[in-house]
Amino acid sequence: MRSRGGLRRRSAITGYALLAPSLFGVVCFLLLPVLVVLWLSFQSWDLIGPITFVGLDNYRSVLSDGVFGNSLLVTLVFVLLVVPIQTLIGLGAATLLTRSLPGSAWFRTIYVLPWICAPLALGVVWKWILAPTDGALNTLLGQRVEWLSDPALALPAVAAVVIWTNVGYVTLFFMAGLLNIPGQILEAARIDGAGAAKMFWHIKLPLLRPTMFFVLVTTVISAFQVFDQVYALTQGGPARSTDVVAARIYYEAFDAFDLGRAAVMAVILLVVLVVITLAQQLYFRRRVTYEMD
Amino acid sequence: MKWTNFSKTAAIYLVLLLGALLTLGPFLLSILTAFKTREQFAQQSALSWPDPFTLENFALLLNGPAQFGRAIVITVLAAILILVGQLICSILAAYAFARVDFPGRQVLFWVYLSTLMIPPVVLVVPLYLMMTEAGLRNSFWSLVLPFAFASPYAIFLLREYFRGIPQELIDAARLDGANTLDVLVEIVVPLSRPIIATLTLITIVSHWNSFMWPLVVTTGTEWRVVTVATASLQSQFNGNWTLVMAATTLALVPLLVLFLMFQRSFVRSITIAGSA
Amino acid sequence: MAKRSTIIAAGAAAVLLVIVGAVAALNFSDSDAPGEATHVTVRLWDEPVAAAYEKSFAAFEEDNPDIQVDVEIVPWDDYFEKLRTDVAGDGAPDVFWVDGGSYPAYADAGALLNITTALSADAQAGWSPAVTAQYTRDAALWGVPQLADPGIAVYYNADLLDDAGLTPADVSALTWDPTGETDTLIGVLQKLTKDYNGNTADSAEFDGSNLSQYGYNAGYDLQAMVLNYLASNGAHFQDDTNQYSFASDAGIASFQYLVDLMNKWQVAPSAADTNTNGDFSREQFLQGKMALFQSGVYNLANVSAGANFDWGVVQLPSGPAGAISGVDGIAAAGNAASGHPAQTQRVLEWLGSAAGAEFIGASGAASPAVLAAQPAYAAYWAAEKVDISPFYDVLAAGTAPAPRGAGWPAAENAMRPLLDEVFLGRMPAGHGVRAAQEAANATLSE
Repeated sequence: MRSRGGLRRRSAITGYALLAPSLFGVVCFLLLPVLVVLWLSFQSWDLIGPITFVGLDNYRSVLSDGVFGNSLLVTLVFVLLVVPIQTLIGLGAATLLTRSLPGSAWFRTIYVLPWICAPLALGVVWKWILAPTDGALNTLLGQRVEWLSDPALALPAVAAVVIWTNVGYVTLFFMAGLLNIPGQILEAARIDGAGAAKMFWHIKLPLLRPTMFFVLVTTVISAFQVFDQVYALTQGGPARSTDVVAARIYYEAFDAFDLGRAAVMAVILLVVLVVITLAQQLYFRRRVTYEMD
Repeated sequence: MKWTNFSKTAAIYLVLLLGALLTLGPFLLSILTAFKTREQFAQQSALSWPDPFTLENFALLLNGPAQFGRAIVITVLAAILILVGQLICSILAAYAFARVDFPGRQVLFWVYLSTLMIPPVVLVVPLYLMMTEAGLRNSFWSLVLPFAFASPYAIFLLREYFRGIPQELIDAARLDGANTLDVLVEIVVPLSRPIIATLTLITIVSHWNSFMWPLVVTTGTEWRVVTVATASLQSQFNGNWTLVMAATTLALVPLLVLFLMFQRSFVRSITIAGSA
Repeated sequence: MAKRSTIIAAGAAAVLLVIVGAVAALNFSDSDAPGEATHVTVRLWDEPVAAAYEKSFAAFEEDNPDIQVDVEIVPWDDYFEKLRTDVAGDGAPDVFWVDGGSYPAYADAGALLNITTALSADAQAGWSPAVTAQYTRDAALWGVPQLADPGIAVYYNADLLDDAGLTPADVSALTWDPTGETDTLIGVLQKLTKDYNGNTADSAEFDGSNLSQYGYNAGYDLQAMVLNYLASNGAHFQDDTNQYSFASDAGIASFQYLVDLMNKWQVAPSAADTNTNGDFSREQFLQGKMALFQSGVYNLANVSAGANFDWGVVQLPSGPAGAISGVDGIAAAGNAASGHPAQTQRVLEWLGSAAGAEFIGASGAASPAVLAAQPAYAAYWAAEKVDISPFYDVLAAGTAPAPRGAGWPAAENAMRPLLDEVFLGRMPAGHGVRAAQEAANATLSE
């Protein structure tokens, strides 16, 4: 008994010792900041003055002035533009690339290039390509289109740049998903006389559901947090038409110097994303019946 | 039948080629522009070949007040330090979660997992406040500290992997008198090379590319990383696109080279890391 | 067994050591070595003045070998974002430029040296009264006056005027009128604007969507355009209590006029270009693609260095209430939290002295706020054969003040997107300007 207890204690000590450094990181740089942002959302702070308690004032101001509402709406439209389009293109590209044509690996490599590069640097490149007067695209088109300064075009333009960045990433997952479909299933369907279209809609697509689910979850969550491309391309303008939530939090804190309001927005974003994640997890539990690799 | 097959294949290649052109176009345009003079840029089409071919833009970036060389050094040092710190802390924690029995293991693991839901954007404002209060704002350590201790995400991936290592191997080493650290170094880490390689690539890429936190926590050229230097150059030399494209080239090319060198493991890594 | 873990541990420790060493080396390269001169950092956004400062501080260092002054340039677009976080994080330079809209927040937070008490009365004599007044708050002065921008005027490209059959005299007394009755500006601008086929804006074939030459720079530029157009129509940007009051009928008419120049008459670059790039118009003027460019002396050095055509300066167009220009001053503030207050004080005294400011005036970089240095400025431009009197003559008719009050950054942040939309022509001026005023005032009550 005594020795078993001793072993247990030793194993507990080992466990905590191994965990200590990472626990320090998790507590100091993940959990504590969440508490700090919650606390800050009840304070008023302009970076240089004192921090003073203001109760619910920041919440009232954020929820009533429409600026944050606009940002939520812009972000939602952005997600709805980016996610479906890049999923479709990725699925299409994956279908073409899994036909075992020679050179497929090269195309796959090329498509994924933008995804590993700095979104900020790519955003700056696109800023030039889309510039109204001396931009590459307008020079090629021979026509002046105000991609980034027309409020009706700016958000779709930013979305297009983000889609361009992400398509290769999405393609990789659909390729993996398609290659994982057991050959016998496809063979059996073929013997039953299923055509290419039928094969895709009735066999492949349902079997891709776990991949689809995974791709949607990760891309929705990352699209909700887009910042670098917006900072490089439009800085939230023109007329707040690309003022996504992450950019609004940044500008509220480090441009308008209202840290309390920025904290409120951060808290709301946190709640929204946690709810989305949990909802997706629940849906996942119910609908997806077999494990992913 | 043969003919339709051929035209079908041709059509597929056409689509794939078009996609490749669209993907590579911006990279090529940016690199081409970086080697042009301002005069050529103003007078000729964006597609024209650099003539004269000039390195002046790069010289201006590296030797001028923008201090791009310094930014590259700082970015590399920060990425390496974060990588080493994260790997060590994460391997230790993942082993504890996978193979060591201690009270509260389940609860702590769930706490770690739940932090995956915290979007980085949310952390920027409070971390800024904490770094300022600690007197670390605008220092090298402010770039590194928040990320150097642990990545719950890496811990999760490693734990999955460690659980696949046969317990008999560990038990045999224990009988030979190995302690926990020996087991980690001798057995667990060597057997986990693929996942560690994956994490290495992903960590380097994400910290070379990271922007919002360095933007917030540093000012001036002293501790500026490559992305922040690029952004500030963009706002300072609004319209001087040859210089700005030289900056984006410097920000993009190192990763492109790294990617092309390790492209197989990169592609595998992205899929592994993603499906966690 | 233990050997291998030792090797790995040693390896990791070595990597860490190398990195820490490298960071220390990066750190060391710009820190004070003992026994050497104390470094005092001066930050500003203006490159021509920074060049003049370098010369000025070289002279200063000769007499003060114990101090080395480092001049630091932060671009205007990032200037106040960076300054705020630097002041908040105890990382601000010892001396930094502030403008009239930004200094009150810092003064109120105790971040600035009180110049009235920090510098001797002698050192404070001889500064431009207008700038001194602008930087006085709660009976104390919060910055050493550096630049005293006189009024706004119009730079013209003589070659383009000539092409249109006009002379500088034809553009030197233009009038603008929101009712159109006495307006002479639009007619002239139409002659000076061309589309890609070479048609001028007053011809029937003119295609305003595709311009190759602009007449004028009617975008959102607070100092060069908005304040002047408001004042010369009898409108006020702010009232006596610093509430924003630009959405009066006269104010809305001023905005409408500017918007019409871009969108109706199409004689100015589109807001799509100018809203996001504050330097767009200057670039176009320097490239010879804009005939009239309304701006201040702060662009004099840039135009002089960059224009390879004949150019000159005339008075800005006068409105129903006359030709009234905004004026603005820039001051160098001392950091209250500076690590070496004595040295900082000496640098500030030098910046405010006739000898120190002489370099700004003598290089023509900017109009100095130290009165004794102003003749050198006039002499420089006289020697360059540029008549700068239009910048000064306009002041006789009264002036429009620059934005005031502690809340300016937040107010501008709130109103800018709405005004952007007005200038893009996406929102009617009346509605948009009123909404902008409301949004700006809402930030004051918070």
